[in-house]
Amino acid sequence: MTAIGSYFRNIKDAVTTIFEGMAVTASHFVRRPYTVQYPDRTPMRVQDTLPIRYRGILEVDLEICTGCLACERACPIDCIVMVAEKDPATRAITISQFDIDIAKCMFCGLCSEPCPTGSIHHTTEFEGADFSLESLIKRFVKEPIPAYKAKKGPETDPRIAPILDRGMHFLDEWAQPGGEKSGSTT
Amino acid sequence: MQTLVQYLISSGIFGRHAPYELVAAITVIVMSAAVFLGVAFPFAGMVSWVERRVWARIQSRVGPNRVGPNGFLQWLADGVKHVCKEDIVPDEADPTLFKLAPYLVVLAFVLPWAVMPFSSSLILADLNVGILYMTAVTALTVVGVLMAGWSSNDKWSLIGGIRSAAQIVSYEIPAGLSIFPVVLMTGTLSMQGIIRAQGWAPQHWFLFANPFTMIAAIILFISALAEGNRTPFDLPEAESELVAGFATEYSGMRYLFFFMAEWGNLFIIGAIITTLFLGGWQFPHVTRNVVVMNVLQLITFNVKVLFLVFVSMWIRGTLPRVRIDQLMSLCWKYFVPISFLDMVGTAIWVAIWPNGNEWSGYVMFAAGIVVGVIFVQRVIYYLRRSRMELYFRPTI
Amino acid sequence: MNTLHTEEMTLNMGPQHPSTHGVLRFVVRADGEIMREAVPDVGYLHRSIEKIAEKVGYHGFMPYTDRVDYVCAMFTNQGWASACEKLAGIEVPKRGEYCRVIAAEFNRLASHLLSVGTMAMDIGAMTPFTHALREREMINDLIEELCGARLTFNYMRIGGVAFDLPPGWREKALAYLDHFEPIFDEYNALISYNKIYIERLANVGVISAADAINYNLVGPNLRACGIKWDIRKDVPYSVYRDFDFDVPVGEGRWGKLGDAMDRYMVRIRELAESARILRQALTRIPSGPVLAKVPRNFKPPAGECQVRIESARGDMGWYVVSDGTAYPWRVHVRTGSFAAMGIMQKLSRGLMIADLVTIIASLDVIAPEIDR
Repeated sequence: MTAIGSYFRNIKDAVTTIFEGMAVTASHFVRRPYTVQYPDRTPMRVQDTLPIRYRGILEVDLEICTGCLACERACPIDCIVMVAEKDPATRAITISQFDIDIAKCMFCGLCSEPCPTGSIHHTTEFEGADFSLESLIKRFVKEPIPAYKAKKGPETDPRIAPILDRGMHFLDEWAQPGGEKSGSTT
Repeated sequence: MQTLVQYLISSGIFGRHAPYELVAAITVIVMSAAVFLGVAFPFAGMVSWVERRVWARIQSRVGPNRVGPNGFLQWLADGVKHVCKEDIVPDEADPTLFKLAPYLVVLAFVLPWAVMPFSSSLILADLNVGILYMTAVTALTVVGVLMAGWSSNDKWSLIGGIRSAAQIVSYEIPAGLSIFPVVLMTGTLSMQGIIRAQGWAPQHWFLFANPFTMIAAIILFISALAEGNRTPFDLPEAESELVAGFATEYSGMRYLFFFMAEWGNLFIIGAIITTLFLGGWQFPHVTRNVVVMNVLQLITFNVKVLFLVFVSMWIRGTLPRVRIDQLMSLCWKYFVPISFLDMVGTAIWVAIWPNGNEWSGYVMFAAGIVVGVIFVQRVIYYLRRSRMELYFRPTI
Repeated sequence: MNTLHTEEMTLNMGPQHPSTHGVLRFVVRADGEIMREAVPDVGYLHRSIEKIAEKVGYHGFMPYTDRVDYVCAMFTNQGWASACEKLAGIEVPKRGEYCRVIAAEFNRLASHLLSVGTMAMDIGAMTPFTHALREREMINDLIEELCGARLTFNYMRIGGVAFDLPPGWREKALAYLDHFEPIFDEYNALISYNKIYIERLANVGVISAADAINYNLVGPNLRACGIKWDIRKDVPYSVYRDFDFDVPVGEGRWGKLGDAMDRYMVRIRELAESARILRQALTRIPSGPVLAKVPRNFKPPAGECQVRIESARGDMGWYVVSDGTAYPWRVHVRTGSFAAMGIMQKLSRGLMIADLVTIIASLDVIAPEIDR
């Protein structure tokens, strides 16, 4: 008797559950698809919609780079190669090389965290395809340039001030050890 | 047909003394080639596009929408791509059988079109064993699939081929048995005869004629899905288990042939059900004009078939795949006994009401509407349940 | 008279098979459709991550832990961070711990969604997979806003987390939870209660409680066998003591206790529990710092420690030996997937080939976690 009961129960279960499943899929005919039609059919560039913390391809603002080598030391895979010489007489630092191998970079963000000015930071750019590995090595320093020197007060140079502001904006996102931020109460 | 051949001979394209048989043969070949190249193959292609779009919408995706308007020409692009691809025959394969197999599968797909009742006069050959012919030739697929599986000399292909053979042969039985109730009620095997026995109104369709025919229709539809290797019975090409099943070693045009046959078979499944249970091309007599009438019938038939094609796509988007032993137990423990009982029940019904019962048609149709209303209610319930749509991305 | 010659067939399933979740390989001895045995062959995704730890130092190893289990990288992050903290005796700020729990539980949702989605796909239903991934996509968006990456998060630091919650993020996350809970009923109606689906999963790959313990199964796989063991409850770490949640265990409602359906349903129910924890954490999160003061040149005192984390795939152990220098002397990760691969051979005997796919999916093995 139980065998016959389970026979018909199986049929009933199959019919009702398939009926429910079909109803769920039918309800999807009238819903909006959830697809980003990257790259050509988006209302705006996808890069512009990404959050500020997004870790895309690295970029360096040489104007505010202090030449402290913190990023090079922090990088776990040594994809940053930096040469900065200190003039013993004037104590001025000259950066003669600043290369980032994007092909090697794993976008971990450990380099931008210790940067004192936010000079090295991640952009929201993620399209990095290229035809050769050599062209993926970004060489930021064309000719040796003097490093940025932090001033006591606010930055006065009108050329550098907005860049520094931007750098500090990137820097502000990172949590400070022991520090409390404005966002922490939300 | 004969008049056309006579006309061709008298027009003198083939010379004055062309033998009648030769001209007739050439005409038939050219005509059928035109039908298949102009109707069957593009249909299979378009079905592939429709299926991908329907499936995509079920899955909250967009689907192919780049080639042509709304991606409509995607099937053409895919076809061109496949034709341009290298046709690889593995070293260890049996080359003759390997090359022959796709054609046999396509053969099983094109043969049924000969008895396809598009309208009251638009039918290539109204055989008096039409429906029998239909089931016979569609079963030819198994030969091609088994051949493909065996000749590929690949274990995945072999398992796929054997699964397919077991599946198609088993499901022939419930499919055949489900045709019997209709044959019992009409007393004919001719496609046109079966359609003429029904009316244009739903309560005169065999689907709603009595409870037994309704069960028969459902069993026939599921069995036909199984014979056509469609989800939930797509075991022979189960992607997650057998890579691509019997088609694993195929590439290019030959690979395309298998899938064209699969998509084309959807139309044939739909046509069989439409003919037997949904009143075929039956349309109310609105005009005496034969041509207009035929066009209306053609549209009616195609709408019904395409609805069934859509349902099978929808099922494919919903259900998971059964296992091979469950497939077999479903066939032998459920479908075969039920369809036998069904046949006996119909016989008794016909014995009691030889001319059919008018009221049962109305009652069954009303029951069908009730089920439909419940279904729509469930759909609305799910739409309401998760109406709150959330989009974090502004680009969607 | 000829006798029919039969032989066993050796099938090579993987490492490029569509349903082996990455690069697993099984050598299947089959008699037609029936498997005699499926022998797992691991090691195709070995990247010597443990050895790398000895070369890159404590801070620098954090991004590498993302790659141990890239489906739920928050847990590997958390494991490494808490191991180092235990070694050096660092106290993590309360808000930092809450941030960790929120990130980790969101990641558990994402991981379980992927698991149940691929499970349905391996059974042959394609639609639940995309529905699950659609929900996972929103979690990815949330996590992207939180830490800047969608897969390899590198969110946690020794002593806390790298980022505080961004402004407005908490409301978004709560809105997501409101959206998520009803969607899951729909998912259940679509696939979990489907008769064909239950038939495919019930009574397949039954693991007894004794076997589960002997083979060292952890996480949902263990709980599906009826054993209530959850590190979050039984060996509480972080701030899990503060939350009220249940530990779902297998019921054997659809078949025998400990079958594939139980493992699947435990994951489904854990999704609801994770959402519960998230709700509590998001409403109760205290204000304060998120990162403790840790020297950049981190040198923990010599010693060793073992930390256990309840990852999405179960008890994840981090064993670190320090010799007092800036580089760990030895690091070992104990992962759930590796143990789950061990029982595969035993489970596979006498099942169908199609069931092997079910077992792989139901044990939720992730290839990088097996080999590391």
